[in-house]
Amino acid sequence: MTDVIAAARAERRTLLSEVEAKQLLAEAGVNVTETRLAASADEAASHAAELGYPVALKVVSDAITHKTDVGGVELGIADESALRAAWDAIHARVAEASPGTQLQGLSVQPMAEPGAEVILGITQDQQFGPVLMFGLGGVFVEVLKDVAFRIVPLEPRDASEMVREIQGFPVLEGFRGTPAANLEAIESMLLQLSEFAEANPEVAELDLNPVFARPDGAIAVDARILLTSDS
Amino acid sequence: MAVTRERLTRALAPKVVAVIGDKQASGYNWLRSMKEFDGPVYSVQVDENEIPGIEELGIPNYKSLTDIPDQVDFAVCAVPRQVAPFIVQGCVEANVGGVTLFTSGFAETGEEIGVELQNKIFEIADPSGLALIGPNCMGLHVPGLGVRFNRDQPAGVQGNIGFVSQSGTHGMNFSLTGAAQGLFCSTLVSFGNGIILEAADYLEYLADDPQTEVIGMYIEGARDGRRLFRTLREVAAKKPVIIWKGGQTEGGGRAIRSHTASLASDQAIWEAMIKQVGAVAVHNLDEMIDVVKATLLTKRTQGNRLGLIAMTGGQSVVLTDAFEKAGWKVPTLSDDSYAQLSEFFNIIGGSYRNPLDAAGTIGQDPKHLDTIFDILNADEHIDAVGMELSATFMARRWQDKPEEFDRLINSIKRFRDESDKPFLAALHPSHVEEEALRARLRLQEEGIPTFPSFERAANALRKASTLAAV
Repeated sequence: MTDVIAAARAERRTLLSEVEAKQLLAEAGVNVTETRLAASADEAASHAAELGYPVALKVVSDAITHKTDVGGVELGIADESALRAAWDAIHARVAEASPGTQLQGLSVQPMAEPGAEVILGITQDQQFGPVLMFGLGGVFVEVLKDVAFRIVPLEPRDASEMVREIQGFPVLEGFRGTPAANLEAIESMLLQLSEFAEANPEVAELDLNPVFARPDGAIAVDARILLTSDS
Repeated sequence: MAVTRERLTRALAPKVVAVIGDKQASGYNWLRSMKEFDGPVYSVQVDENEIPGIEELGIPNYKSLTDIPDQVDFAVCAVPRQVAPFIVQGCVEANVGGVTLFTSGFAETGEEIGVELQNKIFEIADPSGLALIGPNCMGLHVPGLGVRFNRDQPAGVQGNIGFVSQSGTHGMNFSLTGAAQGLFCSTLVSFGNGIILEAADYLEYLADDPQTEVIGMYIEGARDGRRLFRTLREVAAKKPVIIWKGGQTEGGGRAIRSHTASLASDQAIWEAMIKQVGAVAVHNLDEMIDVVKATLLTKRTQGNRLGLIAMTGGQSVVLTDAFEKAGWKVPTLSDDSYAQLSEFFNIIGGSYRNPLDAAGTIGQDPKHLDTIFDILNADEHIDAVGMELSATFMARRWQDKPEEFDRLINSIKRFRDESDKPFLAALHPSHVEEEALRARLRLQEEGIPTFPSFERAANALRKASTLAAV
């Protein structure tokens, strides 16, 4: 499990790529969309054929923190010809928005069936050590800061309480056409992250944003991990 | 070396006390504060100019701790910072149980010499197991034993509130303002820089202390946050814990690249931690006192439906607003209750929907208040009862006919003792403040939880109710 971290350390990187972050999380049992790195359009096409269309393509680069800001994301790609067109389009947009940036490639992942968008995260508090966060995604987290925190380790009761503590909780119970989310799935993902944080003290920050919370479960479709800068 | 429980108990429940370095310039505050101590008090002072003044107080003075013919359990030290390490060394040699260092000017100054002196004290105290409180603190207050650091603090009264404070002022204010409202400490510790003993050590002690029923804490930051978290989880499972977190620490200035880290403010994390351990957060001294009072003096309910008794229509409305804003419901009563109320309730200038606007009805016959209480007690729509006591309307009457006030108190006490439902009262300040104060003190004497506003009453009962019934 530490191979990914060791590789990043060897390259003196603290930011893991989405592919690396998801690999770590998948090994810890966290439900993430399977995501593979492609260095060429051909490789992307062969990944997509295996994973099944529709897929998403996202730019992978140490130098890019916010992929959408540089036009580095294409979603809902239906077939191989659309995939090849998207490959070229992303490269062109990133080259224009961020000239000269080195890319490791693009990641390929199947489009997950959407649900209520939630965010789960880890950060390190100076006094209390690893801390978990939960909130609804998008405007709820960014503008309203409607989030709940708990100190690691979490007990099942803590996970249950933090999910219900946010103001936007009724959204998860089903609201205007969005079906009710599976709360047990969110809670068990929080408990998995609590164990993950305990097992990986080198993880300084983690965002699973968004996680799709659906009636049949919860799946993280994007993941960001930042390692501690010391060591 | 960890401080043993036996050593800590010697320090916090001492049989013999010494005061080191008290002087005229401070009005012999420390020695005078120990006047009511339930055991021998000794002074240690080497300054010949100070000794006659100390002896005039009737307190035997010695030149050194080791000269004292008794085994000292607890010492108070108020010497200049350069001398403090020598005093701590003396405490170790004399096998003193614990010492509190009022002396300041250590790491809190950020000065190199302060940090060095603090490290020196740590190095002397740590291997010895000495229970060192502070430095930079007010130390210990145990009213039951007459241990005080301020002469206005109570003595000779056994309290039931454990209080741990990083700040001397807030600890002192809690003990003084609380006592004025009938709330007394079992043990209060102001621990300042906490270099040997920190908040978690005192919390563990108070959790096991049979005199302590509820624990309050003022804290700004923890040296070992993980330990504080673990300790609070254990302690709050045994006794109600109320935490007042002061100050906001900076984020640390490191580069933050995730939403999670950017949202994790110091305040947000502390509030979460307090909730997670099963304690309750308060934000100022008044709220601390209110919630401690409600925790000690009201029964616990899992419900959130209130029956309210008001004295006027206008107050019925704002009383309801105050409680509903704090998360309570003020529901309609049961049909059975309405049937009973309709038989005697005076609805001219009154109403019994809920709130019960009852001044006229009670004025007609004070027995009606007992009936109202009985109806609310039996009503399955109601989990708790709140009452407005209006000094504005009633003070003159209470003055002229004290038996009416006695009657009111007795009705409240009867309900409180017979019902499982929590009861609380609000008595606002009024234009007849002397009479209102008399009433407030009487209610306090009778152990009736009374708050100075509807809002404070509503908040206190809400927060006390969130504490697990432990």
